[in-house]
Amino acid sequence: MSLWPEPAARCQKTQGWFELRGKPSLRSKLSIVVATAKMRLSLVSRYKGQLFIEMLIPIVFASIPIMLGRATGGDAAAANFESNTGTSDYVAYMLIGSVTFMIVSYAFWLVGYWIRFEQETGTLEAIYLTPTSRFWNAAGISLYSAIRSILFGTLSYFVGALIFGINPFRGALLLAGMFILVGLVPLFGMTLLFGALIMKVREANSLVNMMQWGVSLLMGVFFPILVFPPLMRTLALAFPPTWMVNGVRSSLLGVGYFFNEWYLDLAVLWAFMLIAPLLGYAVFRRVERGIKRNEGVGQY
Amino acid sequence: MTTGTRSAPIKRIDGLSALFSSLFAMSRKEFIIMRRYPVEFIASFGQVFAIVAIFTLAMLMFADPSGESAGATGGGVVIYGFVLFLYLSDTLWTIGYNIRREQKQGTLEALYLSPASKFASLVSRVTNTLIWTSLLVVAGIWLMSSMLGKLPIANPALGAFILVFALAGTFGFGFALAAVTLRVKEAGQTLANGLTFVLMILCAFFFPFSALPDTLLAITKLIPLSYAVDAFRSTLMDYPPGFPELAPIEIEIVIVVLFGLLMPIIGYLWYRHSETHVRKNGSLSEY
Repeated sequence: MSLWPEPAARCQKTQGWFELRGKPSLRSKLSIVVATAKMRLSLVSRYKGQLFIEMLIPIVFASIPIMLGRATGGDAAAANFESNTGTSDYVAYMLIGSVTFMIVSYAFWLVGYWIRFEQETGTLEAIYLTPTSRFWNAAGISLYSAIRSILFGTLSYFVGALIFGINPFRGALLLAGMFILVGLVPLFGMTLLFGALIMKVREANSLVNMMQWGVSLLMGVFFPILVFPPLMRTLALAFPPTWMVNGVRSSLLGVGYFFNEWYLDLAVLWAFMLIAPLLGYAVFRRVERGIKRNEGVGQY
Repeated sequence: MTTGTRSAPIKRIDGLSALFSSLFAMSRKEFIIMRRYPVEFIASFGQVFAIVAIFTLAMLMFADPSGESAGATGGGVVIYGFVLFLYLSDTLWTIGYNIRREQKQGTLEALYLSPASKFASLVSRVTNTLIWTSLLVVAGIWLMSSMLGKLPIANPALGAFILVFALAGTFGFGFALAAVTLRVKEAGQTLANGLTFVLMILCAFFFPFSALPDTLLAITKLIPLSYAVDAFRSTLMDYPPGFPELAPIEIEIVIVVLFGLLMPIIGYLWYRHSETHVRKNGSLSEY
């Protein structure tokens, strides 16, 4: 008599956690999300030097226009800045923009670059052999990116405020946090669109580099988008990060919402939140299917 | 049965002929690789466009909205500093991080099994930097001119002279980073990143040195590259009031020339020393 039950009986014993006969349960799908995020966080925690530098990057980037502005404007720097942007606190303005730039960069490098990363680490085939949908892997990467960008963005903001001598607790902090959290979802949806392009073109590094700077220009990282010509301004308003960064600045510095009220701007972000991830993932899947039919996703 | 044909005697080359032959072949290889990635080429221009536009618009936010624009001096400070920053950034990555790329591509062992000069492999990447980055520089200058109006371009011969020695010093800096990368391996990426950002502030590529606090300025004055940045843009802007900022131009030119002559030698000697060290302890092939 065998000590081990038959395979079918074994599967029935584990029913409720994972059903071999049917599709994975919601609980198991969510466990994939958590496991993916945990794995990537564990991986990145081994590179403490890199994390430290990433925390300093927004502060360094913010210091460039701050010092350039002080040299350009002299004693009238704050007054000129207020005339052009609606606030004289250019230090906080630049720091907020720079931190948001870091959040956008993380999204492109972590979510948009995700498939390419799996190819480089040799884990892509293993992922495709599992019965899970890529959606849950992408959700796990997005969760990881959100944790990393919010954590380091917050640290950068407070350390930068300490270095530059500004008050980090001014304005409506909770509302600013809300704009960031709501803005992250459509941002990740947008980066999935971009991830589809990377899968097709494969020259990932240069594309991501260009996109992170291009989106930063469009969202007005160091200036209001009102300085753009009308067509470019319209294009900028089609980007969720533009609403995100303006929402944060308006909450903390009072520069003015696009629709004059915070709940109207937040409503636009909610609309993006519903549309962008679905659109991004649909395009991603379509491109993925096309590549699978042709040269194959595993081709490096 | 065919009779064997006598093959032509192999022409052997050695010494400087071998070095230059290797250098030419490796440079040609780098250029061929560069040509295969047109998307990277176009994306580089897009990136330069975005960076120049971001910092120019940021600068304009501090200009008097009713008066004159930030003007040629402000634009000159940014764009000429940006030129040197582009070369520095490319140097740190393509020369300094070079040995890691050879390891990742799997060509390191083949390189060391051949009698070709290993240093030629390092220097050949300079060719790539000179061609590619120079094109990006021209694009950046054109873009900024179109946004701010005509940029000052005075004393072009002296400016070119300073640029040549500044570049030579920068390449020597890259060789030194390559020497360090041989020992620290993947941590070289973090090092290159960190150095880029530290030098971005200390060498004031995008703003005048007068904007730096006194404590940082004291450190800035110890870095020869700072004098190269100051001399280069002050010369091309025809020495507006307050420029150059760190020292008189004659002293700055001497510093830049010494930097350009000595840094490549120091970087090369350091690289050879590190290479010998990692070959002796067997860590050269460790990934």
